[in-house]
Amino acid sequence: MAESILQKIVRRGHYKFVDRVDSWQEAVRLSTESLVETGYVSENYYQQIVDCITKYGPYVVFEHYVAMPHSQEGAEGAHKTAVGFLRVKEDVDFGKDEDGEDKIARLFFTLAAANPDEHLDNINQLMNIFCNEELLDALMAAETPEDILQAEKDFPPEDILAD
Amino acid sequence: MAKLDNKKFMVCCANGAGSSLMMKMTLQKVLTKYGIKPGALHHCSLSEGKSAAPGYDIVLCARNFAKMFDDAAKKGTTVIGLKNIMSAPEMEQAMKDAGLLD
Repeated sequence: MAESILQKIVRRGHYKFVDRVDSWQEAVRLSTESLVETGYVSENYYQQIVDCITKYGPYVVFEHYVAMPHSQEGAEGAHKTAVGFLRVKEDVDFGKDEDGEDKIARLFFTLAAANPDEHLDNINQLMNIFCNEELLDALMAAETPEDILQAEKDFPPEDILAD
Repeated sequence: MAKLDNKKFMVCCANGAGSSLMMKMTLQKVLTKYGIKPGALHHCSLSEGKSAAPGYDIVLCARNFAKMFDDAAKKGTTVIGLKNIMSAPEMEQAMKDAGLLD
């Protein structure tokens, strides 16, 4: 079986666990830190994401405490395709959406997209993860990379696009 | 022939790289379920989408972006804003509400 995106995140060291952050901007920066260290994105990449969320609002925050910060496909500063994982123990507040609902995240899956095919596969896999609440709960409780792999074993993501 | 056959669809998000791809996959699932063969299925950023939208029959986007397509809507494009872009049932219902699906 092909390596899953969560397995890739662990193998590449693209993860971080923190208890709290001062702002959503800091969370976005931390979620790219491991990508910067391994040469997947440049140091200022996170700023593009922050600018985009500032401009368009917290539309990258989905249901069940999940955020998928990203910039454009082939964005300047995205050298390779990957996903940077960050788990924050306390709520990260992105403000309110247009309905006045709070947008809150604890899990960050930050995208870097350089290769369209690989990126599409990542997006597809992330969708399956985002629709699996048990897996998300387990990831929110994760403290180590081993916990990420165990969570995937315990609650394997299903292909939600399959009939 | 399904009435959406050959219709041109566009899905939009801020960057055209993240949530629009997810929406496109969700849409493909809905179209497959109904046996619809679209004439086009394009995903792009809001900046591209805003000017290109009148050339499409149906535009799907996250709900907070829907008002950006008011011009295209006036010209006859059906604009559908979604709360959960990954939910095929929500998309299906929204398309039914817009009179696109029976």
